[in-house]
Amino acid sequence: MDLTTQQALSLLFVLATAVLIYTARFLQSRGGSRRALRPMSAFARIPDWSSQAIEADRPLHLAFGSASLGEDNTAIALANAELFQRVINQNGAGDTPPALSASAPATIPLASATVAAAWTGERGARNVHWYPQGKRAFGYAAGVTAVIGDDEPPAHILAGSFGAELGLILDSARRKRQATLAVSDQLAGQAVAYVLADEALIGEELFAAPAYVAGEARAADAVIVMDVWRALLMILLTLALALGMAGQLPWLSWQLLVAAAVVALVFAAVLWTIRRRR
Amino acid sequence: MNRRPRAGISMAAVTGFLVGSVAVLSLLLGDNPALFGDGAGAEALAQNLALPGDALLRLLMIVLALSIVFGIANLLTLHIRRLASGRLMSGVLLSSFAGVIGWHIMLPGEPSLLEAIQLPIESALAALLCVTLVAGGARILTRRSDIWGLLFTLVVVLVLLGSLPLPELAPIATFSDWLMRIPAQAGARAILLGIALGSIVVGVRALLGQDRSARG
Repeated sequence: MDLTTQQALSLLFVLATAVLIYTARFLQSRGGSRRALRPMSAFARIPDWSSQAIEADRPLHLAFGSASLGEDNTAIALANAELFQRVINQNGAGDTPPALSASAPATIPLASATVAAAWTGERGARNVHWYPQGKRAFGYAAGVTAVIGDDEPPAHILAGSFGAELGLILDSARRKRQATLAVSDQLAGQAVAYVLADEALIGEELFAAPAYVAGEARAADAVIVMDVWRALLMILLTLALALGMAGQLPWLSWQLLVAAAVVALVFAAVLWTIRRRR
Repeated sequence: MNRRPRAGISMAAVTGFLVGSVAVLSLLLGDNPALFGDGAGAEALAQNLALPGDALLRLLMIVLALSIVFGIANLLTLHIRRLASGRLMSGVLLSSFAGVIGWHIMLPGEPSLLEAIQLPIESALAALLCVTLVAGGARILTRRSDIWGLLFTLVVVLVLLGSLPLPELAPIATFSDWLMRIPAQAGARAILLGIALGSIVVGVRALLGQDRSARG
């Protein structure tokens, strides 16, 4: 693929995403077209943790990990900030501001702005920790377990960019009987989160968090757009696989592929109709 | 309520949209004269289009470098406040900070502090992490007593058996190798694709001023 085609496709993709976001928002705003989100236990527990923090007068610990503005994981940092802003909103009735931690210095202003925008308690109260990480990020894990552990938070929401060092934080929290929710954009961190966290989100579920935590219909537009792109991607990958096989299997023809696609579409339409009637 | 005025939010959203749009267009379309035909001015036009993107990236680098200063200021003020409220771990952190600065001033370029303290501690933490992960993996059946917990345990046992250098276990090694190459790779790519799609949607929402964190 030449450079011009790549550029055109990228621009088209960005524009199509923008159009889809506005379309999803328009559809969501129309009565009767609200989309129900599937239940996820990880998000259902956040209000309980907020209540525990308020009752115990302890901070919740919200961690960005190494997610940073201006790096590859800028979008993760923004998604985290949006999730944390809504969690802090729920936690706003308490006296102790939540403890936010990050290992990238560029995330500190974002974390401070997140608290400032959402915290309704004492004005100017900030509890934003920065622990610069070394090459293996254990410095951050040590800072979080030792220093933030002093605050005895009832729950840790570790949503960001973590590697295997996440295991140390989660194990420390488990030994202190503190609840944990974890998700990472790094595969090593994601695997550790699945094994050790009380609640684990997987991959793009982090980006759906605002729709779940705030329960706002307008926040669900991102979920709808992600679903549309994911469905298109699955269709394209399946088509590519089928075409690749068609080149190798003599009995597989274009006509057969089209027939299979029509049958699949009819089958999907029948299933959808039955589900609607129920 | 500690809220920013609505005008400030609108200003942030408009500024974000304008700067973001310029950056996206400049970075996506700049430096490719083929987009502007074969004319004599195509090269200059492409370079000019790339300029705002380059300038914004340079500005970003400066801001990132400066953010370390803000980070240190934040670290010191926060932990001085915490020490004043009786949290001793913050005292340890502050004295370590002062010690390292003093060491660097008195013995510039001397790496033994890093080699004698930082590296052994990190190595110890890495070793501890191995134990933690094994213990966590062993506990998974008690925490997730469903089909997925069982499948996880089964796969771990198969992969561990497959890595043993025993000729009797060669079929298991072949199966374990296939497991890691095909299904595990497919799952990993699916997770990464999901994250990439999510990142694009969040990026475009931030550009359009729909993202609350970007609006401030």
